[in-house]
Amino acid sequence: MGLVTDNLPGALLPLPGGGALLTAIDQVVNWSRANSLWPLTFGTSCCAIEVMMATGAARHDLARFGAEVARPSPRQADLLIIAGTIVKKMAPRLRTLWEQMAEPRYVIATGSCAISGGPFLYHSYTTIRGADEVIPVDVYVPGCPPRPEALLYGLLTLQKMIREGTTLARPGEVRKPVLAALPDGMTLHQVRAEIAELVQETATVDRAAAATVGASYASASRV
Amino acid sequence: MATSLLPVSGQALDAQSLVAKIQKLCPAAQLRPDCDRPAVKVPLAHWPVLAQQLFASADLLFDLLETHTAIDWVQTGQIELVYVLTSLQCGHHLTVFVDVARDNPVAPSLCAVWPIAQWQEREVFDLFGVHYTDHPDLRRLFLDDDWQGFPLRKDYADDFMLERPS
Amino acid sequence: MNATVATTLRARLDALPSQSLLGTQEYFVNMGPQHPSTHGVLRLVLKLDGETVHQVIPVLGYIHRGIEKICEHSNYRQLVHLTDRMDYLSALANNWAATMVVEKAAAMETNSRIEAIRTLVTELQRIHSHQLWWGVFGMDLGAFTPFFYGFRDREILTDVFERTIGGRLTMNYIQPGGVMHDIHPELVADVKAFLAVFKPRLDEYEALLSENVIVQERLRGVGVLTAQDAVALGATGPVLRASGVAHDLRKAEPYGLYGQVAFDVPVGSRGDCWDRYAVRMQEMRQSIRIVEQLLDNIPEGKHFLVKPAAKIKVKPGVWYSHLETARGVLGAMLVSTGGEAPYRVHFRTPNFNNLWAVTTTATGGRVADLVAILSSLDLVIPDIDR
Repeated sequence: MGLVTDNLPGALLPLPGGGALLTAIDQVVNWSRANSLWPLTFGTSCCAIEVMMATGAARHDLARFGAEVARPSPRQADLLIIAGTIVKKMAPRLRTLWEQMAEPRYVIATGSCAISGGPFLYHSYTTIRGADEVIPVDVYVPGCPPRPEALLYGLLTLQKMIREGTTLARPGEVRKPVLAALPDGMTLHQVRAEIAELVQETATVDRAAAATVGASYASASRV
Repeated sequence: MATSLLPVSGQALDAQSLVAKIQKLCPAAQLRPDCDRPAVKVPLAHWPVLAQQLFASADLLFDLLETHTAIDWVQTGQIELVYVLTSLQCGHHLTVFVDVARDNPVAPSLCAVWPIAQWQEREVFDLFGVHYTDHPDLRRLFLDDDWQGFPLRKDYADDFMLERPS
Repeated sequence: MNATVATTLRARLDALPSQSLLGTQEYFVNMGPQHPSTHGVLRLVLKLDGETVHQVIPVLGYIHRGIEKICEHSNYRQLVHLTDRMDYLSALANNWAATMVVEKAAAMETNSRIEAIRTLVTELQRIHSHQLWWGVFGMDLGAFTPFFYGFRDREILTDVFERTIGGRLTMNYIQPGGVMHDIHPELVADVKAFLAVFKPRLDEYEALLSENVIVQERLRGVGVLTAQDAVALGATGPVLRASGVAHDLRKAEPYGLYGQVAFDVPVGSRGDCWDRYAVRMQEMRQSIRIVEQLLDNIPEGKHFLVKPAAKIKVKPGVWYSHLETARGVLGAMLVSTGGEAPYRVHFRTPNFNNLWAVTTTATGGRVADLVAILSSLDLVIPDIDR
């Protein structure tokens, strides 16, 4: 991550109280990382419409979670959202893209194809059975394609992983992949309510004023 | 925004007169009865000449090669090339079937008649292994250049494909 | 910037000598398969001289999933859902194409309610698809606002689909013998509410993008595809119609209820990017017209005439049927040797045939024009590769 952070543990740990200070710094670093994920625009098929375009657009608004700065270049991105089927011809390109991304980098595999090959599992001579055969995946978001809310849920799961995850003293720790499927019995409305609650907690905008501005759209979107 | 640059200049022919007309141009052409649309089977040797005639004849005017593909009849040892033709100017359709031998599939390229054939033929070459003579750029289209075999052939097998458990 | 200034700028740019005094040489640049403006994993090998494009060589196969092979191992119901994933923006039309050929082959009947529902939802999805295209088109030209506007209004329609169909994108709704579910009781009211919102918004779209002088300058006269070239290169749909050929299967060979509704086929005159843009904008209005005629006239009846569990058997033979998706002619060929699985299935996809227009239209233009041309062709890459 850099000269300072690489040398920080070695410098701080021997000092009295250094461990506690390092933990505090870890928290700040992880908090910043979790809330400023820059995704790479990588969409191969149907999932790209749902999880990249629809989620990034006005209604679902990925920007609420700091992940809207989609970069076309892997060098500037730290989150790879695999949206769509990976076939044999694409697999080396996916690997290259992932390797071009700077550490720390995170991968969300969205949709059946990126998880297992999905509907193209049997009798397909080209479809790779899951993106994790090519690169390590942190969070799996099931669906064919997943709804935008499902991706938001997956993103929140990833953010949680990052906040509780690697520390400066143990960089590059192998992370355990997580399935971000909605728990049984959970409805879409609960997810929406939870997201609304989250946004409410960290809101910095004048919601009352925003409501009057957005009133015309809100009535339209509720048809 | 209403005028058409390609006016409807011809008259749509019904299936019977269409096939009769084609048999007049090429007596070796036979009606293929198990198709839902007008369809003829043409011997390979007659096909390039007939294709040019289908395109140019004033009352046929098949200007659009809608699609070109193949069927692998593994039991009879033939690959059947399929040409779906449409005449935008007249409004009729024709499907042409041409047999090539499965162990040595060679067919003439029709790029000179219908330019889109260039890429449709590349697809058939890629997936069925049919070689087109006089094709300007016969390479694999979808698969990697070093791919072994032709996947849409019925006897294609590799150690990657999974069978669906029954 | 007014039109005169922009025109003068363009004239001055065009007047620049293509070979500078220092001497230049051609070089190759890969555009894609990971590139934001190829809308997926299309790869174009560009032969450039500076900013001038000398040759475009499309390289395909980065999403070739072997759908036709999988179809050979599926039964006649299972293959319908695979078609969703070809041109996912016209999923319903794709379902319908597969359904149509299976129904023809198995001699299955439908009723007028089924046909009305199919026509209605497919026409709604044409609007849905063009909304997305409009947003992305603006984005490719460098304007980000259309993307948000397009998606804002598209989401309303997505909710309408979700209520009846259950899916937002991949529908798997139109099935051999009927449609998956009957329409939601609120569908008609929902669609009317959507149209009330969307019709003024369509005028807003025109004011925002169509009347923008920069957009006009970037589209007019760029990427001209003549009618003869369009037919020779197998182009169909809005791309063909923009070149002046009034060919629309909804008119030429009416299926569903298209024979009973009044609508016009918008046609361009020059075949440049602007015409392709204008044709699609007009098509949205025509689709609204069709939807309005159908909404209050959905006949009563069953929405499924054959039980979904019933096995479909087809006698030996070859069947081909085609219809008009938002992008052009989608054909489905079915070869059967009897039994419950097809011997061979082939899809004639509009995007595979529309793509090649780029090889002639982009040559001689600039790289920025290439992006506009690609976007005006409205390609969906998985539909090219299948």
